[in-house]
Amino acid sequence: MVGVALGSAGPFVKLQKNKAYFKRYQVKYRRRREGKTDYYARKRLIAQAKNKYNAPKYRLVVRFTNTDVICQIVYAKIQGDVVLAAAYSHELPRYGITVGLTNWAAAYATGLLVARRVLTKLGLADKYEGFPEIDGSVQEVEAIEDGPRPFKAFLDVGLKRTTTGAKIFAAMKGASDGGIFVPHSESRFPGYDNESKSLEADTLRDYIYGGHVAEYMRSLKEEDEERYKAQFSRFIKAGVSADDLEEMYSKAHAAIRADPSFQPTAKKADAKPYRRQTPLNAKQRKDRVRQKIEAFKRAQE
Amino acid sequence: MLVKPKAKNARSKRFLVNREPKVVENAKTAIIVRGSSTSQVILDTLKDLYALRKPNAVNFTKKNEIHPFDDETGVEFFSRKNDCSLFAVGMHSKKRPHNLILGRTFNHQLLDMVELGVEKCVTMKATGAQSCAIGARPLMVFHGETFAQNETMIMLKNILLDFFRGEEADRVSLKGLEYAITVTAGPPGANGEPGLVFLRTYTVELKKSGVRQPRVELAPMGPALDLRIRRVRFPNDDMWKQAIRVPREIKETKVKNISRDGLGDKYGRVHVGKQDISKLQTRKVKALRQRLDNKPSKRQKTE
Repeated sequence: MVGVALGSAGPFVKLQKNKAYFKRYQVKYRRRREGKTDYYARKRLIAQAKNKYNAPKYRLVVRFTNTDVICQIVYAKIQGDVVLAAAYSHELPRYGITVGLTNWAAAYATGLLVARRVLTKLGLADKYEGFPEIDGSVQEVEAIEDGPRPFKAFLDVGLKRTTTGAKIFAAMKGASDGGIFVPHSESRFPGYDNESKSLEADTLRDYIYGGHVAEYMRSLKEEDEERYKAQFSRFIKAGVSADDLEEMYSKAHAAIRADPSFQPTAKKADAKPYRRQTPLNAKQRKDRVRQKIEAFKRAQE
Repeated sequence: MLVKPKAKNARSKRFLVNREPKVVENAKTAIIVRGSSTSQVILDTLKDLYALRKPNAVNFTKKNEIHPFDDETGVEFFSRKNDCSLFAVGMHSKKRPHNLILGRTFNHQLLDMVELGVEKCVTMKATGAQSCAIGARPLMVFHGETFAQNETMIMLKNILLDFFRGEEADRVSLKGLEYAITVTAGPPGANGEPGLVFLRTYTVELKKSGVRQPRVELAPMGPALDLRIRRVRFPNDDMWKQAIRVPREIKETKVKNISRDGLGDKYGRVHVGKQDISKLQTRKVKALRQRLDNKPSKRQKTE
């Protein structure tokens, strides 16, 4: 990092980052250093616009892990963010979606779940049903005439790329169809054609019911039975075929609307509470290094 | 004196234009500065002040050799660099333990400031209470008649109001009233000097009451500060006059015959001119109808 003026052999390199530089160097925020938070976006997502008269602002946070889809309704307080409601795709087996918990359709169902959950919590569930009939068209929730305005939340995509067809927008579509007002347009849904600037509603509907998965299942089964068995082993184990998918999703959507409440999983009786590892102190750390060096030396001999 | 930088591209030009004086100014930014030595009490105080001021605040995490009462160039320099007009400087010494300086600059020149000894600080973290949203505007209450009488207290009130006022809004949503700050003046000393000032913050909880209006409850939020006023720098008269000047563009033009009372109710005085009776609309009776033109009536036609 430090530019060093080499001896007579090398060219003269100017010392760019001197002592004063490192003395005054200020590190970025921790979450920036870890590459987890986009502070440019965050600042804009949590600060309420001046003309909104201090009303609280909510975010629909959508995150993906390798095995899970997480949807949360979050608002920012001085001491940190507060989660108003959360839904995970690993809850979906309760509603009948047993496999494919990270795909487009699962993200949609998770978004729907979080929307119904938060509206139930706020007592708006009956007033704002959203759009139970799924036809793949893009609609936004509108205020009812006599009653409270809709619950408004802004999509927080985190560090995901906002490409057309991305799964984040599946969760957003689910939440929007579930009765939350999430301002959006059609341009990032699958089936959107950038050239004609129009959305093919059938394609979007197909994705919501896992049609793209079913199609791939059929084609793979026809072409390569072996690969089909490897790729869809869990589907086969669960007894879900390509033709069952649409029914599975439509039933799950109805079940979510019927009872969106959270039910904690039953804990095993003999489960030990998770305990975080206590970090080693300086003496222990040094001792560990010493032992490792000695072990290495012994191995050398 | 800093040389005014020249914009090299459109982005930096926009940035510089944003800093220029405007008819409606940007929300004031505060810098939170640590002095050369600080105590834990002062660090806690500064941390909470920063939290309340977010996002219109810049927190300095390193120590700075800065003594605004002895040499104002330091704060003026920071004020210019960070484009901010409010500052809070915290320091600690044997002579002045737990010292907090709140002040303002105008046009990047020091306007006024007040030095406060923090005798007690209960932080937001210590109360463990629910906090408020980022950038929320507080309700502020000042208890004690000294806030209207004593010159120092009047100025302190003015500075505190400026410090916590945040972004300007002409209306507030009920949900947005999330916290309140009360400032209470303690009993004055024997020689009439101001006593302790108790600054308390509360979250406003809107609970169900059964009727349309919610039942309002206050819960301590933190910071809770007991402050002792030390040195004070009053503003220079000329500069004060300039600072409070309202630009002509936004000055309210006086409308004749319209007045408002203390509650904001509008009264209008209407002057009725002399009535022109000749054009008065009376009841229309067929018999009285004048025939302006000499059209033959229906009866004449039939004849």
